[in-house]
Amino acid sequence: MLELRNLSKRFAGIAAVDNVSFSVRPGEVTGYLGPNGSGKSTTMKMITGLIEMSEGEIFFQGKPIQHDLMAYKRRMGYVPEEPYLYNHLSGIEYLTMVAQLRNLPARQSSACIDGLLQLFSLHDDRHLSISGYSKGMRQKVLIIAALMHNPELILLDEPFSGLDVASALVLRSLIQELAARGKVVLFSSHELDTVERVCSHVVILHHGKLVADDSIASLRSLMELPNLEAIFSQLAVEQDTDSMARQIADLIHA
Amino acid sequence: MRKLLARPLAHLPSNYRILFRQFLLRVVDFDALSIQADVVGYIGQFAGVLMMFSMIHVFFILIVFGMAPWYVEHYLIATMMLAAGLIAVVTWDAIFPDLRDAMVLSPLPIAAHTILLAKVTSSGAMIGLAVLTLNFASSLMLSTFAGAMHGSQWGFLQALAAYWFTMAAASGFLYCSILTVQGFAALLLPHRIFLRLSAILQLAAFGIFLGVYFLQPSIETPAGMAAHHNQWLLACSPDFWFFALFNQLNGTLPSTLTWLAWRAWIGLGFAVSGSAASLILCYLHTMKKIVEEPDLVPRTGSIHWAPRFGNALQTALTLFSVRSLWRSRQHRVAFAFFLAVVFAIALSWLRGQLSGATPRSMPEGFILSTFIMMSVAVFALRSVFSLPISLTANWVLRTAQLSSSEKYIAATRRMLLYFSVVPVWLVSAFLSLAFRPWHQVAAHLAVLALLGWILAEINLIGFYKVPFTCSYLPGKSNIQFVFWGFFIFIITVALPAAEFELRSLDDPFWYVCMMFVLSGAAIGLWAFNRRRASSAILYFEELPTELITTLKLISY
Repeated sequence: MLELRNLSKRFAGIAAVDNVSFSVRPGEVTGYLGPNGSGKSTTMKMITGLIEMSEGEIFFQGKPIQHDLMAYKRRMGYVPEEPYLYNHLSGIEYLTMVAQLRNLPARQSSACIDGLLQLFSLHDDRHLSISGYSKGMRQKVLIIAALMHNPELILLDEPFSGLDVASALVLRSLIQELAARGKVVLFSSHELDTVERVCSHVVILHHGKLVADDSIASLRSLMELPNLEAIFSQLAVEQDTDSMARQIADLIHA
Repeated sequence: MRKLLARPLAHLPSNYRILFRQFLLRVVDFDALSIQADVVGYIGQFAGVLMMFSMIHVFFILIVFGMAPWYVEHYLIATMMLAAGLIAVVTWDAIFPDLRDAMVLSPLPIAAHTILLAKVTSSGAMIGLAVLTLNFASSLMLSTFAGAMHGSQWGFLQALAAYWFTMAAASGFLYCSILTVQGFAALLLPHRIFLRLSAILQLAAFGIFLGVYFLQPSIETPAGMAAHHNQWLLACSPDFWFFALFNQLNGTLPSTLTWLAWRAWIGLGFAVSGSAASLILCYLHTMKKIVEEPDLVPRTGSIHWAPRFGNALQTALTLFSVRSLWRSRQHRVAFAFFLAVVFAIALSWLRGQLSGATPRSMPEGFILSTFIMMSVAVFALRSVFSLPISLTANWVLRTAQLSSSEKYIAATRRMLLYFSVVPVWLVSAFLSLAFRPWHQVAAHLAVLALLGWILAEINLIGFYKVPFTCSYLPGKSNIQFVFWGFFIFIITVALPAAEFELRSLDDPFWYVCMMFVLSGAAIGLWAFNRRRASSAILYFEELPTELITTLKLISY
């Protein structure tokens, strides 16, 4: 289980994440939602160890992650929000490098990479430079790199970004399959429809603060709202969206 | 000065001014810089180094060469052409539109000729700055002596004008010739093939400029120039054309060499018109082609095989570094620029050995040269390691750091040894084949190997980063300080060390003592680095040293 306790992150005194606590249990997919700038990606980066937390603690399988960060990283797979990759490498070179950095056995990792490339329809393009990959192809490389070492904890930050319909459907099923096999999955996305289909549990963040942490079914019945989009609008959207759209159109027109 | 320039500049179209500034500063890759980088200060330091180099150059010409006018004139022109050629290699492709330009500028309402003009003038400004700073002292020196030949009060001014025109023309000729070749290659070839060929052309140009400069026979006298057997060499060497051009403008050219000066005029005309035509055609046709065919160079083979360099981590980091160095234009050029010094020294020794018939005893100059080659190669690789390739992609190295920092630093040590110490050692061993006795050659190569190891360890002190991943902070290390520090090091350490080693090669006792000290230093530095590496933390962002140090005397 992944557990965040009173987690905060301040940049120059301004709280990006403010006293956030929640748990992600194995066997279920937890959706992590919030508007732009609410602190989702900052939380993800703290969970991955990319940035340090200002306050609070993160526990994985009952142990603080900072106690043995390398052992924790060995068990974690992460798909970042933006598909930033080393563009001068080919797809297979990048994945082989990640496998080597993770010290995976050469023969086993090579077979795994080859299989995943075929399943993600990237095998024919594996020798091309990543600079020539489309956004969706880059996203697939990121997903393969995050999963090839069979991690226990899977952190997905906007994993559907740029994927075509077929690949998105495969990924959706894959996330559910991984959760069913006992993985701890935290999934951040703006696509509420997908979140509603994939996740059993959601955590909603607004202005860096936790505003909801419950199962979707329970939130629906508690708030008496038909779907996740309505719940999210009520909890995390402050503006009148129609009026805002009118104002933008007026400004452009002027 | 700024106010003086501000008024005429304000009359230029604003989009031209914005583009000019962007392209001018693109000589430094902003994506690779630290957030607190001082780019202007860095360029200023670089210009300062070139000016100081010009003054030292003049000093050496006056003291060492003792003013044989024709020789010095030709030497200065050939050296300026080499400098212009190397700048052209460094700024390779900078004048042509790339994918970023095509994607960002094409949708904007900016005329192609404005982009072209901004590119040409910004590149011209960089070349112009280099020509000015490199020649300001030598122009005064040469004009004083060349003007004295006239015996009139206007002689100095005529020589000065002739000198500057010749230098500008020689630099322009070389730069425009390269642009012509590139431009027509870009026009005629499919974009992907052009990209592949462009990298090969760049390295070929680099080798040709250095090879011609160091291996070309010198003709130092008017009689030598008039000799029948030298006519073919004169006809094929642009440096001699521009030498003749200078003398023609200065009024000191013998009538028998007028044809050479005409070659310079014709060559300049062809180069300028060729580059102008290729550039205009490129901007009219290539922008669209670039968008249609992105900067993607597909691999030809389908076999994925890579050699192993130790354990998995060492292999991953070494292959990443080799690929970064080979595939990134900026890194390749930066490394090649440093390696020019190593190649220049090696070529000059090779030239001497090709002309020398019999094996001879090892001279002190050779020992010194190998020391300098080794130092430059190791420091060059360390410097290039500091230039990042893609800061945004570094997250993967951070999330996949499953080994201690010590292992990463050990991998960097291996890379320094593989790609700087070993190649220089092999080149030195090859050049040593001309020397005897063999035991002296072997003894020197043993010393050189230890020196390489020591230099690698010195460069690892405080280098707690993965090569090509940490943001770059230009201006952090003062270039002037590094440049002069290196010269002082050569004079105060390398010169006496070479002299001492030469004496020790004939004296077993002193040789053993020297090896003992060097081995002790190497092992001591290695142990020191290992100890510090065990508690080091890898960093990916270079930040300036804090001006205010917090003493933390108050506990909150």
